Amino acid sequence: MDVFGSFALLVAFVCAVYAVVGGIAAIITRHPLLVKSARQAGMATCGLIFLATLSLEYLFFTDNFSSAYVVSHSNRDLPAFYKIAALWSGMEGSLLFWSFLLAVYVLTVLIAYRNKNGELMPYVGVVMAGVQLFFLTLNNFVESPFKALASPGAGGVMSFITRADGNGLNPLLQYPEMVIHPPNLYSGYTGFTIPFAFALGALLARYPGEKWIHLTRKWAMIAWMFQSMGILLGAHWAYAVLGWGGYWGWDPVENASLLPWLTGTAFLHSVMMQEKRGMMKVWNVWLVFCTFLLCMLGTFLTRSGVVSSVHAFAQSNIGPWFVAFMGITLAVCLGAYLKNRDYLASENQLDSVISRESSFLFNNLLFLVACVAVLSGTLFPVFSEWFTGNRISVGAPYFNRVNIPVGLLILFLTGVGPLLAWRKTSRESLKRNFGWPLLTGLLAGGVGFILGFRGFYPLASLILCFFVAATILLEFYRGSKVIRARSGASFAACAIDLTMRNTRRYGGYVIHMGMVFVFIGLAGTAFDRDVQKSMQVGDSMHIGPYTLVLQATDSKPEKNYTAQRMMVEVLRGNKPMMMLFPEKRNFITNKENGTMVAIYSTLKEDLYVVFAGIDPDTQVPVIHAYLNPLVKWIWFGGVTVVFGTLIALSPNRRSVLVLAPAQQPATAEPLPQGVVASPLLREGHD
Amino acid sequence: MTKNRALSRTLVLLGLATLPLIVPVGAQQFSERAKKIGFQLKCMCGSCSMTAAGCSHPGGDFSGPCPTAKGMLQEAEQHIAKGETDERVMQAFVQEFGTTVYAEPPKSGFSLVAWVMPTVYLVLGALVVIFVISRWVKKNPSETTASTVPARPIAPELLERAKKLAERATED
Repeated sequence: MDVFGSFALLVAFVCAVYAVVGGIAAIITRHPLLVKSARQAGMATCGLIFLATLSLEYLFFTDNFSSAYVVSHSNRDLPAFYKIAALWSGMEGSLLFWSFLLAVYVLTVLIAYRNKNGELMPYVGVVMAGVQLFFLTLNNFVESPFKALASPGAGGVMSFITRADGNGLNPLLQYPEMVIHPPNLYSGYTGFTIPFAFALGALLARYPGEKWIHLTRKWAMIAWMFQSMGILLGAHWAYAVLGWGGYWGWDPVENASLLPWLTGTAFLHSVMMQEKRGMMKVWNVWLVFCTFLLCMLGTFLTRSGVVSSVHAFAQSNIGPWFVAFMGITLAVCLGAYLKNRDYLASENQLDSVISRESSFLFNNLLFLVACVAVLSGTLFPVFSEWFTGNRISVGAPYFNRVNIPVGLLILFLTGVGPLLAWRKTSRESLKRNFGWPLLTGLLAGGVGFILGFRGFYPLASLILCFFVAATILLEFYRGSKVIRARSGASFAACAIDLTMRNTRRYGGYVIHMGMVFVFIGLAGTAFDRDVQKSMQVGDSMHIGPYTLVLQATDSKPEKNYTAQRMMVEVLRGNKPMMMLFPEKRNFITNKENGTMVAIYSTLKEDLYVVFAGIDPDTQVPVIHAYLNPLVKWIWFGGVTVVFGTLIALSPNRRSVLVLAPAQQPATAEPLPQGVVASPLLREGHD
Repeated sequence: MTKNRALSRTLVLLGLATLPLIVPVGAQQFSERAKKIGFQLKCMCGSCSMTAAGCSHPGGDFSGPCPTAKGMLQEAEQHIAKGETDERVMQAFVQEFGTTVYAEPPKSGFSLVAWVMPTVYLVLGALVVIFVISRWVKKNPSETTASTVPARPIAPELLERAKKLAERATED
C-alpha cells in the first residue's frame, strides 16, 4: 500500500503540472479542449491525493510497521480514533493532510463552477493547481509520508525492516479534540486558497463586474469559519490537556493561526465597501493576497524552526521551500497588480466622516494593527538576533499588554459600526441608535464596579460587552417589531423571519454577539485564582467557595497507558457537590506523560483541577486547583460565531416575501389610507 | 515547665513536619518577590516556553514547576537573600542565560522597539485613515441633499427594477 500511495502522489504531481501548464496554454489559446483537459487534470489531481491519503490511513489501521511514518506515530494499542489523527501528527503526514483538504476544496470548486464563469475559471484553476503543485512537490520529493523503514545492514547497505510495534502517538495529541481541531484549522488555512485563487484569477483575467467578489466573499467566509473553529478548538484543547489553567499562551503556533484570521476578518468587513459602494478594490485584493501569504508564513514559521513553539509537533528543514514559494507568490501577485491595477480603479467617495464606510476603515486599521503587532512580536526574537546578536524572547505578558487595548477598540467598533448608516449618519440617528446601548453599558459598568470590578480593562470590557450586546438586541427588536406589526406573530418568530430575510446582515449580528460572549470570557481572566497543594488522602484545600477533599487515589491500567487517578470530592460549604477525577497518564510505548484535567464548568466559573503529579521532593501527590471565572462564555461564544456564520452563508429568503403586500392579520389594525407598508429595504450589514 | 517546653517543642516539630502538607507548594518554597521575578523570566528548560513562576511543564512527569523552573526560582531567592534589587536579580539571570531569559522584552535598548512599534502602527495607521477619509470626503464636496429634496413616491416599474437588481446582486 505504501508503494501505491507513493505512486498515487507521483501521478498527482504529474497531473498538477499538466493542470498548470495546460491551464496556462488554455488561457492563451482559449481552446475549449485545452480548458476542459486542464480542468479534468485538476480533478484527477484531487482524486489521486484522496487515494494517497487513504493509503496512509490504511497503513495506520493495518499496523504496517514497515512504514517509517507509521512507526514514528502509531502503535498497535493506539485506539482507532487516534489512528485517524496520527495522519497529521508529524511533518510528512500533516503536509499530505494539507494537500488532502486543499483537494477537497479544489474539487468542490471545479465541480460547482464547471459550467459557470467560463472566462474566470481557467485562471482560478491554474492558481489552485499551482498551490497544489507546491504541496505535491513537498509530498513527493521533500517530506514523503511513504518512506519505508530501513536500517544499515552489513557493509553499510541499507535494508528494509519491519518493526514489531511503533513508537506511539504523542500523548498530547491523544485527546478527542485533537481529532477535530487540526482538520478545522487546516481547513481554514487551505480554504483561504480559494478566495486567493478567485482574487488573483479575476485580476489576471480582468474579469468584468463584481461577481468575483461575491464568490470570493463566500469562500472566504467558509475558510474563516473553519479557522475560527480551529482556533477555538485549539484553545479548548490547550485548556483541557496542557493543565496550566489557561487556553491561550501566545505561542508562535497560536499566533500563526491568528494572523490570517485577523486579515480574513478585516476582508470580510471591507468587502462590503466594494459590494455596496464600489470602494477599496485594491485594498480588498491585497487583503486576500496577504491572508493567503500569512497562511503560508504561519506554516513556514512553525515548521521551519525559525521560532520555537511548544505546539510544533512537526518540524523539519522545509523552510527554504516555503520561502521560495512565498517569494514566487508575492512576485506573481505584485506583477498581476502592476499590470492590471487600472482594473481595480475604485469609486472612492465619502459623503460624511461619520458613516459606515469610515467605521469599516477604522475596523480594518485595528485588525491590521493587531495582525502586525502579533507578527512583529512573534518575529522579534529573530529581528533582535539579526540586529544585536542577542535573541530576546517575547512572551505572553507582552502580547497581552499590546493586544488588549486593540481588542477593546475592535469591540467598541463592533457595537458602533453596524449602527452607522452608509454614506452619512445624522445626529438624530446617532442619538436614536446609541442612547439605550450607551446607558446599558454604563449601568452595567456601575453595577460591575459595585460588585468589585476594579481594573480598567475588566471594567472597560464589561461596559463595552453590554453596550455591543444592547446595540445588537436593539437591532433585532426594531426589525422584529416592524414585522410583528404586520404579521402579529411572536417576537421570536419575527426575529427568525427577520434573520432569514437578510441572512448576511443578521448572521453578522449573531457573529458579533458571539464575539461579545468571547470577550466576556476573556475579561474573566483578570479574576483567575489558583492554589497548589501537596495532599494525602483525607486532606482538603480551599479555593473560592469550594473545598476539595482528596478521597482516594488509584492506578488504572488501560490498553495504551496507565492512569494515575485522584478522586477529589468537591464541597460547597459543607454540601457535597460532585467527584472530580483528574489524572496523569503514563503512555507505555513512548514513556511520555499526559494530563487529564477535571473541570466543573458553569457559566459563572470553572473549577479546574489538575493532578500535577507526585512531588519529586516529598513523594506526595500534588493537586493544583484553579478557579477561572467566565471561561464557558468563550466556548459558548465560539459556537455562536459558527452558528452566525452558517446563517450568513445561507441564502436569503426570496425577496418576494418582503416586497409582497402584507397579509393583514385579523387582529392587526388596517394601515391608514395612502400609507404603503415599508418593504424593509434598508441598507444593512450585508 | 519542662513538660510544657517539651510539649511546645513537640508541637513545633509536628507543625514543621506537617507544613508541606497544608501550605501550597508554591508558597511553601518561594517568596512573593521570587515569584514576581519568576513571572518575568522564561523557564529555560528548553521545551515548555512558560515563565519560571508559571511553569506547568506540559507532558512532564510533574506538571510544574519543572526542575529547571524550580532551580531558577531558588536562584532568585538566593539573590533576594543577598539583598539585591529586582533589577540586579534580573541582570544576574541575563548574564547566566542571555537575553532569551526575558519573558517579555525589557523596556530599554533595542527591545524598546518591540514596545513602541504597536503604538507607532496604530498612530500612523490612524493618520493614514484620517487622511484617506478627508480626501474621499473632499473629493465629493457637494453634500447630499436628500433631506432637502421632497420625497417622491417610488414608481412600480422602478421598484421592480430595484428588486431585480437586488436579486442579481445577492445571487452567488
